[in-house]
Formats: sequence, structure tokens, C-alpha cells
Amino acid sequence: MKPLNTLARYPFLKDAKTYVKNQGIAVTELIKDPLYDRARSIAIERVEHAFEHKDVGVRQLSKESDCIMELFSYPLSRMITCCINDSYFTRRYALGEAVRFYKNLIKENTFFLVDIVKEFNLNIQFDGENQHLSIYFTDYLTHAPTRYKHWKLVNRELQNGYISLSSKDLSRVTQEALRHRINNELLDKPCHELIQKTFSEEIQRLQNKIATQRKNNETIPVGKLDVKKLPPCIKRILADVQAGENVPHMGRFALVSFLNSLKLSTQDIIDLFNTAPDFDEEKSRYQIEHITGGVSSTSYKPPGCDKLKTYGLCPSEEIDRICKKTHHPLSYYRYKWKIENKRKKKKSDKKPNKKNEA
Amino acid sequence: MSGVNLTKESLAFLQDQFRSYYKKSDLSVPDRFSRREYAFVFFGGKGMLRHLGFSKKKQFQAFLQKKAPMHAYYSTAYYQYPDAPRMNEKEWMGAELIFDLDADHLPDADNITYETQLELVKIEFIKLVDDFLMNDFGFPIESMELYFSGGRGYHCHVKHPSVYQLSSGDRREIVDYITGRDLNASVVFHEESMGRAQIKGKTVSTGKRLRMPKPDEPGWRGRISQGLIDILEDIVQSNDPLLKLKGYGVSEYTAKKLLDDLSENRILRIKQGHLDQSTTIRRFFLNNALRKKAVSFAAGETDEPVTCDVKRLIRLPGSLHGKTGFKVIPVSLDTLDDFDPLSEAVIFDKTPVLVDVGVDVTVTLKKETFELTTGNQEVPLFVAVFLLGKKLANIK
Ligand code: SF4
Repeated sequence: MKPLNTLARYPFLKDAKTYVKNQGIAVTELIKDPLYDRARSIAIERVEHAFEHKDVGVRQLSKESDCIMELFSYPLSRMITCCINDSYFTRRYALGEAVRFYKNLIKENTFFLVDIVKEFNLNIQFDGENQHLSIYFTDYLTHAPTRYKHWKLVNRELQNGYISLSSKDLSRVTQEALRHRINNELLDKPCHELIQKTFSEEIQRLQNKIATQRKNNETIPVGKLDVKKLPPCIKRILADVQAGENVPHMGRFALVSFLNSLKLSTQDIIDLFNTAPDFDEEKSRYQIEHITGGVSSTSYKPPGCDKLKTYGLCPSEEIDRICKKTHHPLSYYRYKWKIENKRKKKKSDKKPNKKNEA
Repeated sequence: MSGVNLTKESLAFLQDQFRSYYKKSDLSVPDRFSRREYAFVFFGGKGMLRHLGFSKKKQFQAFLQKKAPMHAYYSTAYYQYPDAPRMNEKEWMGAELIFDLDADHLPDADNITYETQLELVKIEFIKLVDDFLMNDFGFPIESMELYFSGGRGYHCHVKHPSVYQLSSGDRREIVDYITGRDLNASVVFHEESMGRAQIKGKTVSTGKRLRMPKPDEPGWRGRISQGLIDILEDIVQSNDPLLKLKGYGVSEYTAKKLLDDLSENRILRIKQGHLDQSTTIRRFFLNNALRKKAVSFAAGETDEPVTCDVKRLIRLPGSLHGKTGFKVIPVSLDTLDDFDPLSEAVIFDKTPVLVDVGVDVTVTLKKETFELTTGNQEVPLFVAVFLLGKKLANIK
């Protein structure tokens, strides 16, 4: 078994679970007993910190009791998250745990990392002598953030099915593995009644926070963009980006170059993306500017329907009448403007007449 | 190339021939047989009959013998309910990883003969299987099934346990890897800050030095180096290197200088990955057009939607292709070099058949060339089936 303060930093490991189990404390005790007051407040802090800062945060772990409280806070945080009952929030919480995990991992040595990775069933190879790490490509594909260009398989060294990578990159892949795991575990878990009762106030408060954030996002006018006029493909990609789904590189490219052609500034686009749970402003800015020509000197043209179709980005079930007329998402958008302008013109043509009559 | 409308008699003739094949052959069925969806196109029929499922091999063979379809397909995916009428009701369980190489992707496909098309596709196919799927992806040869498609290309079915659950996005990554899309040049070229470099025997302070991987390094690194070296050799050995260099946007002055600089010794060193043989050479390797070309030289090919689609239908091994009469037959990597689809996939015999040829045409099958002019004539059965399938003749 790993030392207690290691378990406290990695409370989702098997050893940590065993430790908690071995203490023989009933869930009701954990929720009610004043002895665990501190664990409960840490649990709330974890959840809230994750929502606000994409990181569950750090606390002192110098005394044994610090470690124990930290350890117990983890199952509580998970249960609270289930009671908040909002998939966006759950994703955000999972991200918060995973990000903290990563920040801890990169401080560890490679042997420790390799040991941890085993718990995630990742097929890796480690050559201890020259510290060379590699991971089987399907595990890489499942977890690595390939939406970023330098994470794409093509930009990695692949030999005999294994991809060489640094310990930092392996930590990042493991971060994603934890994120996926927590997400899946919490997805359909019901809310524990006692948690709902005990934490009702906090849960309500957090739910309000989510609601406010949603509201704000809705009302932010996004530059000159009229979302209603977007073609189905772009609408879909935008929704996915905003929900923090894993959008492939081509999808992001299509979206950003499309928005750029409509003269949205980089900042406008960043604001649009800002709702994703794992949103990273600096990284996004760099990527967006790369496409819009802010970084390199070329700005790219948005891809047409043909290209989007080969990339599987054209949602064939949602294609409408205008799609069939046009061959480019931009022409789709402009076409919709045209019809609206015509309609408006008709209306305004009528209005003065009425006045005259009066 | 199609010349005639097939008559009812011709369609019936083809179907009879196909039926006699299905009666004689002991067609093997795909693994997970009863979990697959099957689909068929019939002679003279409109559209495709889909969403069929079979629980017994006997039943399946009886179906083929009775209906003698023009084309037969099965789903690369396996499902809980393969015969459910709607895709989302089938409950996807997994899918093979498929690569489909077809001559219609060749540049200029229409201006080369069928034989040459098949030959070119074969070369690409070997590169795909040997270089990418085996070396880079590490699939053992036993985990792959290779087929001649019966038409203009080859299929590779990867049945390695690690691939069945791959999502469409994951498969897209594999395609991008093979085709070199979004490849970052910096992965290949890196500038080492050396401070000093040896140029013409003197130690010169350069600050940076351009390195490129050796051509025998694994994966894309070695591959693109090899691509660059191939291009360089192509330029140096061509009749008019200056003209070739101009094609890459190099000015005449620089081109001359470059050719002067490229001594045999230097070319040798370049092959070892030392690009910085002179300022001109260095600048040349940073040429964008050249890099792009090197990527396309080195890239593999595959039909993208086929590989990415996790619910694809693909031609059934052992079945006959309705547009040629050829059999979809397995091929092995070892013998692929010498494989001649236009002999080995031809299964019908030499019985003479009277046909009315609609266009002047030359066909080579089973190593025999037939120069046919329009009008009635007798040809061996296998030629007749091919001509009818291609709509170049009718039965008389
Ligand atoms: S048809 Fe074109 S515009 Fe319409 S959804 Fe598809 S890709 Fe977009």
C-alpha cells in the first residue's frame, strides 16, 4: 500500500479505496458524524473549486488527520456531484479532478507514473534504462486530446503500434483517462437521499451558479453573428465546442475559419468558445490566430460542403432545402441573410404606405 | 466506358452464370456470421436490398444460389440485431478496420489501361499494408485479410482485437496518419542550436543547424526524409535539373548555385541527415513546396470515408463482382508482387459464346489478348461475362 499522503493526493486509486473501506466507516457516519465535518467542507470545496477554476484545489497534507479528511472528502464530492444532477457540472467536476491529478503527476518520477498508469489499463511500454516511454496507439487514440494538432497521431512517432512520448505527455493522457473514468462512473449514478438532505443548501447554491452562468452565456450577443442563420454543420460543431465535446481538428478548423470569414474577431470567437468545461483561453487564442492568420501570415479559407462531407462533419439528417441549393456553408449563411433582407424590405415597403393612408 | 444497354437475355445469361458459380462453390462466410448485416444488388433490379440477416450458413448459401445476385455485401460492423430496418436499432457492437484502395483515386485514371490501373493500385496497396499497417501500426500479418475487390482495387480487413471498438474519430486519426494530413514539418525538421558548425572544413558560428532524421528512422520521420532524398535524386539525375528546380519556385541563379553545391559527397551526407551542407542547400530544404511534395511522395492512400465509417458495407469475399464477373479472392502479401488479378480472379471457363460486341475493344484476360471489333463473334465464356458486365456487348 502506498503511503497515506500519497493516497490523499490520489484518492481515486485502488489503494485509496481499499484504505477508506478498511476504516469501516458507514456512509451515514461520513455524512452525519461531526467527526467528519472537515471532510464534508473539503468535499464542497473540491466541487466548487472544480466548477470555478477547473481544478479541485490543494490543501495542507502535513498531519495524518489532514490526509484522512482529504481522502474521505473524495467520495463525498462524487456523491454531491451526482445530486447536483447536471451533466455539464459533472463533466466540469471530472475535469477538475483530472487537472489536479495531472498537476500532481508531473511532479512525480517516471517509475511512479508508470505504476499509476497500470490502474488505468493503459497498454504502455517502459524501458527503465533509458527512461523511454511508449503507449499502444489505440489507448492513445481513446484518451489523447487529438483535436490539437501536435497531439494528432500523424505528428507522433509511431512504430510497431507504439507511440513514443514524454512522461509529461503520458501524464496528460492519463489525465484524460481519469476524466473519462469519473465522467462515466458518475453519469447515471442516482443521488443519495441523505446527501441531498445534508447538503441541500450547498447543492441549491451550486445549481443557481450553473443557472446564472448558462443565462449569461445565452444573453451574450456574439458580435455580428446570427446563430439562427448558421448552417446545420457549423451549428453542430459550435454546440459541441461549447459543450466541451471532443471536436476533431478539422471541425475546429471549419468553425474558426467560417467565423473568421464573417469578420468575427479572435476575441469574438474566444467568447463564443468560452463555455467549454476545459476551455483554455491562451491555447485557444493561439490556435484561433493560427487559423485566422493572426500568428502565421496566411489566413485559411473555410472548407466547403464536399470537404465537410468527407470528414463526416455534414449532419446528413439535418440537411435542409438551402443546403441542397448551396455548396458552401458560407453561401448558406449569406442566402439566409438575403431572404431575411427581402422579407424586411417588403415589410418596410408596406409600412410607409400605411402611414400615408393614415 | 460503357457501350450498350444490356438486353433481358444478357441479364438472364449473366445471372445464370453467377448462379452456376454459387451452386458449385463452397463459399466461406465472414466471422461473426449471424451478427452481420447483408445487402445485395440484383441483375436488372433497382437499388440495393439491405438489412438482411442470416442465422445459418446453409440458409445464406441457398439464398445466393436462388437469387444469384449481381453484387453481394456484408457489414464490416457486427450488431446485436443486424436485420433491424433502421441503423440505430441494430445496436452496434464493433467493426473491422477497413482499407479500400481503388483505381478511381488515381490521378488521370481515365487515360491509363485497366491493367496499368490495377498495377498502380497494387503498388500503393503493398505500401499501405507493409509499410504503414505492419511497420508503423504493428498489425501482425495474420490479423489482416487482403482481397482483390473484383473491380479496380484491393481491400484490407484488419481484424486485430484492438480495432473493433475504435470510434469513427479514432479511425479518422489513422487515415490522417497514413495520408500525412496535418503533418507538422517541425516534427521532421528541427533546428539544433549548435553555436558552431563545420562548413568547408572551417568552424563557423551558425547559431542554428538544420537537422533531418535519417531515412531509416521509424514512422513518418524516416519516411519524409526518404521522400526528400528521392526528390533530390530525381532532380539531380534528370535531363534538365534547372527546369525541375524552377518547378519548386527556385530562381535560376539559386538553382545553379545549388547544383554546384551538390557534390556527391554532400549528397551522401544529406542522406545521413545532415542537411546543412551550405547556405543554399539549407534554404532549399526549407522550401515549402518541396516539403509538401515530399509528404505526398511518402504518403499512403486509402478511401477515407470507407475507413472512417464504422457501419460500412463491403463486398463479400468469395462473391462475384457484377461488373466484371471476377471473384473477390484473398491475396497474400508474399505473393502479391506477382499476383495477376486478370488471370487469378477469372473463374469462368472457355466454352464459346456468341456475343454482339457494341464497341471496338481490346481485353487481356488469363494472359490472352482479345482484339474485338463491333459485331457478332464467338468468344470464350470468361470474356463474354466480362464484356457483358462492362456493358460492352450483348448476348446473341
Ligand atoms: S450541406 Fe453543406 S452547409 Fe449543409 S450541413 Fe452539409 S456541409 Fe453544412
